[in-house]
Amino acid sequence: MLTLLAKLLKALNSETSPWALAMAMVLGMFLGLTPLWRVHNLIILFAALIFRVNLTLFLLSFAIFSGIAYLLDPMFHELGLAILQAQSWQGIYEAMYATSVGRVSQFYHTLTMGSFVFSLIISPVIALATYFIVVNYRKRIQKALMKFKIVQMVKGSRFWQLYMDLRG
Amino acid sequence: MKRSIIRWPGLAAFGIIIGLLVIISWLFLDSILKISMEYSLGRLNGAEVNIEKVEHRWSPLTLTAHGVEATDPAKPTHNQVQLARLSADVSVAQLLLGRIHIDQLDVVGVRVDQERSSGEGDVYVMPDKDDVKNWASTNWEKLKVSLPEKDEIIAQVGLQTDQVLDQAETKIEQQRQQFEQAKDGLPDKQKIAEYQQRIKELTESDIKGLGDVAARKEKLDQLKQSIREDKQAIKQFREQLSESAEVVKQQIEQVKQAPGNDIDRIRDFFQLNQSGLQNITGLLLGEKAKQWSEYLLLAYEQLAPMLARSSDTETVKKVRGAGESLSFAEEDAPPEFWIKNARTEVIVADSQVDINWQNITHQHNLLGQPTTYQARLDNSKLWQAFNLNGELSLLASGIDAKQQWQLKGANLNSLGLSNSEQLTASIASALLDSDGTVLVRENQLDGDAVIRMLDLTMDATGSSKITDAVATALKQLNRLDINTNFSGSILNPKLGLNSDLDQQLGKLLSQTAMAEAEGKLGEIKADLMSKVEGQLGSKTALLENISSLNSDAQSFDNQLEDLLKAKIEDNLKDKLKGRLFGGL
Repeated sequence: MLTLLAKLLKALNSETSPWALAMAMVLGMFLGLTPLWRVHNLIILFAALIFRVNLTLFLLSFAIFSGIAYLLDPMFHELGLAILQAQSWQGIYEAMYATSVGRVSQFYHTLTMGSFVFSLIISPVIALATYFIVVNYRKRIQKALMKFKIVQMVKGSRFWQLYMDLRG
Repeated sequence: MKRSIIRWPGLAAFGIIIGLLVIISWLFLDSILKISMEYSLGRLNGAEVNIEKVEHRWSPLTLTAHGVEATDPAKPTHNQVQLARLSADVSVAQLLLGRIHIDQLDVVGVRVDQERSSGEGDVYVMPDKDDVKNWASTNWEKLKVSLPEKDEIIAQVGLQTDQVLDQAETKIEQQRQQFEQAKDGLPDKQKIAEYQQRIKELTESDIKGLGDVAARKEKLDQLKQSIREDKQAIKQFREQLSESAEVVKQQIEQVKQAPGNDIDRIRDFFQLNQSGLQNITGLLLGEKAKQWSEYLLLAYEQLAPMLARSSDTETVKKVRGAGESLSFAEEDAPPEFWIKNARTEVIVADSQVDINWQNITHQHNLLGQPTTYQARLDNSKLWQAFNLNGELSLLASGIDAKQQWQLKGANLNSLGLSNSEQLTASIASALLDSDGTVLVRENQLDGDAVIRMLDLTMDATGSSKITDAVATALKQLNRLDINTNFSGSILNPKLGLNSDLDQQLGKLLSQTAMAEAEGKLGEIKADLMSKVEGQLGSKTALLENISSLNSDAQSFDNQLEDLLKAKIEDNLKDKLKGRLFGGL
């Protein structure tokens, strides 16, 4: 746990692009909010591994949003049901349902559809918010934090040694 | 140096993760399938489903499950159905399109209503109280083997003697008031004597001339008018007396009959309402008929509800976070679940009956054909001939189905029917023939069947007078024809059984009950008779009084009639003649 936190701090304090961190947050959110055993999550995992996004924040985001998903499940079901029952889309759904890709994607599952659409809608917000927090952390909070006595104490601790070791 | 956006080692990591997933799935596929099947079949069944072992083969894709047990949600200690082995050839091409198409399904060792070896199963969808099968039989324990107490009989039957007595009292009192009122207008003896005196004066005293004669005549006419009015009053009084006498006689008759009527009512109560006496056939054969019909209605009882649940997610309680899969199949698309051919080996009393099925699906509207099934087994150890065929469709309006069967020469040996404290009964030997038809329209069952038991020998022992009478009658039977009817909904079938045994035994049991009841009937009759006799005395006296009054009134009427015959002219002539002859 300490290692994970240290890695996160390292990422925040490093030269890693804020957008890379925001992308990790968004991808982790997709994995956390939507049902795990779905084909689109393989694509998400592939993207997280192949592109240089921060894996620590990706895993942390996955853990946090999995918890949130449990609370939002009923809402996802209702949203998915409303989308899947939309009359004007029935033709598209029928066409997709007749294909292997459509079947494998399980788009016809209310929770999958509801959580995926919800994730799509809030992903720009999550990305921008993450970017804003990282940039402001680096600009203001990082320096201010260093002045606190508690931070000075932490700097003398084993955790700080671990962090410094990681930083190289 | 700016690093590349692509992290190539990530590709390797992805490959390793996918590889691990494939290996784990490959290694544990059978276990994963077992858990998935137990979960999904359990949800469809509404109660725990256990599978001993699942095996697969890739080419051709075959799935085999051993030891499948589906708990009965209404009786979790028993399996609704259990199978020794299930083997399915799955179409890979259709599976890739998300459809489960099974070309051939073989199910062997099917048994219904077997006790679970692993103890009580979990129930996911508790059947409503109304859904628990309401079969024709009740328990022998419910048969009343002791008679109710006197007060209880009186309360249940609703004796009417008291009511009749009250009514008689009221009606007779009304009549009494009416004739007392009529009596007030009657002339008394004094008035009649007065009439006689006045007539005598008018007709017999001295005449003082012709003017006097005219005056007397006028007075006599007035007197006669008054007498006629009194006669009219007497007439009315007598009419009233006749009516009252009639009413009193009628009421006395009803009062006399009341205890007898009540006793008859009690006898009817024993003949008709003795709990448990109404449907002996159901009582005796209900449990066995239920077991037999579970085999006969296997298609409806097991398959139809499962197929119905698979197409109607409302019947299965949703699990939080499980979501719901909607179907967007086009009208001309193949069904998503389709077993083209199936063979089930059902075990009936250690004999195997093969049932062949075609087109098992929950989407008959897409397939355009019903699910059909046939079973035929001749010259087996159990019977000479058995033939069953039927079809079933799940439509938007519900389940539509029909089934017919013929069974000939089934051997029944040592078949226990009842083993209660009150009655032990079993069929020592019999030959059973049966044929019937069941129709299902919009989930409602409608059908009837005949069960004929020939060369019947029964063993029976009863522990009370009533059940002993039943046992004696049963032992005398050598043939029994039973009419069976099916009704109710498919999830809550009702079975009605009746035969001439009901009438025969019902009469016998009523007689037995009556023989036991005679003592109590005597007590009740004595009570009623004492009440009636107490009131009858006063009513009979009243009737005698009415009769006496009637003869008095008759006497008055006669006297008045005589008075009306008196004529002033004759007397006058006599007097005038006397004067004339005396003067000469």
